[in-house]
Amino acid sequence: MVLKLHGVSFSTCTRTVAVVAKELNVPYELVNVDFAKGEHKSPAFTAVQPFGQVPYIDDDGFKLFESRAIARYLAKKYAGQGTKLIPTDPKEEAIFEQGVSIESSNFYPSAIGFGIEKVFKPMRGLTPDEARAEEHLKTLASKLDAYDVLLGKQKYVGGNEITLADLFHLSYGQLLVQAGQADLFESRPNVARWWKEISTRPSWLAVKDAA
Amino acid sequence: MVLKVYGNPASPCTRTVTMVCKELNLPYEVVVIDFTKGEHKLPEYIKKQPFGQIPYIDDDGFVLYESRAIARYLASKYANADTAILYPSDFQGRALVEQAASIEAFNFYPSVYGAVSERIFKPAFRGQPTDETRLQEHLSALNPKLDAYDKILDTQKYLTGDNFTLADLFHIAYSALLEQAGLGSLFESRPNVARWWKDIAARESWLAVKDAA
Repeated sequence: MVLKLHGVSFSTCTRTVAVVAKELNVPYELVNVDFAKGEHKSPAFTAVQPFGQVPYIDDDGFKLFESRAIARYLAKKYAGQGTKLIPTDPKEEAIFEQGVSIESSNFYPSAIGFGIEKVFKPMRGLTPDEARAEEHLKTLASKLDAYDVLLGKQKYVGGNEITLADLFHLSYGQLLVQAGQADLFESRPNVARWWKEISTRPSWLAVKDAA
Repeated sequence: MVLKVYGNPASPCTRTVTMVCKELNLPYEVVVIDFTKGEHKLPEYIKKQPFGQIPYIDDDGFVLYESRAIARYLASKYANADTAILYPSDFQGRALVEQAASIEAFNFYPSVYGAVSERIFKPAFRGQPTDETRLQEHLSALNPKLDAYDKILDTQKYLTGDNFTLADLFHIAYSALLEQAGLGSLFESRPNVARWWKDIAARESWLAVKDAA
């Protein structure tokens, strides 16, 4: 049975799962969740995903949510095909875990915070909180300075090979670019090199506008 | 060479790492970094941890930071037959731990950190007053999340099922701070969350590190 990805085509988290599936050559079927009708808050949906968030997968009856957990599961299950996305050597795996954690604690919070103000709110006809947006930008700038140091010592965020740690940055990085902040990446030489590489991978180009 | 944890007894992320060491019966030594004096922002610290955050470990020359990464590394390397359950390696067991760990990182931690920051960190460490509006925002975000936790924990003892795993452990240090911040009712008012919290907070490994990593 083909992997079912219950999500929304343009959702950041749905596209995170999609790009990973593409890297692994794992076919999937996108089952659309009707956001506008509040399907993600319906009893049928919250029975699977109690937080009412997209996406979740149904892998032949095994259901899983949280995009990064789904990505890890697919990368482990399909380790024999496509790109190797989680190292198997223990020390390399530890550096990979460090990279994954860097993304979740040092990149994502201000990236999504900024994206909410300057992309999502305007999409919904709401007024951005400019002061908050500025705060997030300031935080991002200082975090990306640290990224530039890190990426001067290793090729990717999770080590010297591309891993899930890098792919997890794509949806939110794109949000920043969409909001006119490409300079955050381009003004830092190592970050610029890394961002250009990961954001032009065929797997991302295939899903970046629609999972 | 005994594992070195560069951190601070008062730091919740340091306690997360030392709690894992206790769970694994792994000896360790805390090398105290005085964050009140900005020691974590000095050049020699930044060389090891470019984000200037605590803790990091030195495992016989292997340096690693990010407490949740350290926890996974230690559990993978030092687990035995009894403790392997903390971080199972079968596909589905591992996936459920990662699902619950992701819930912690994205549905729990941001608002809990925010609330604790307003009530404790800002006044105690940054000489800033609590921003009541922001605090309320964090609590408004947290409440529906904890309702979902209560639903999950209605049919199972721990976040992944019958067994205590790293995913439950990742919640402990900051939940203790939530209590310290006078916000314990968030758990107490939800029967399953209250039961789960009472259970995990009573673990010997936590009692050993909760006041000083």
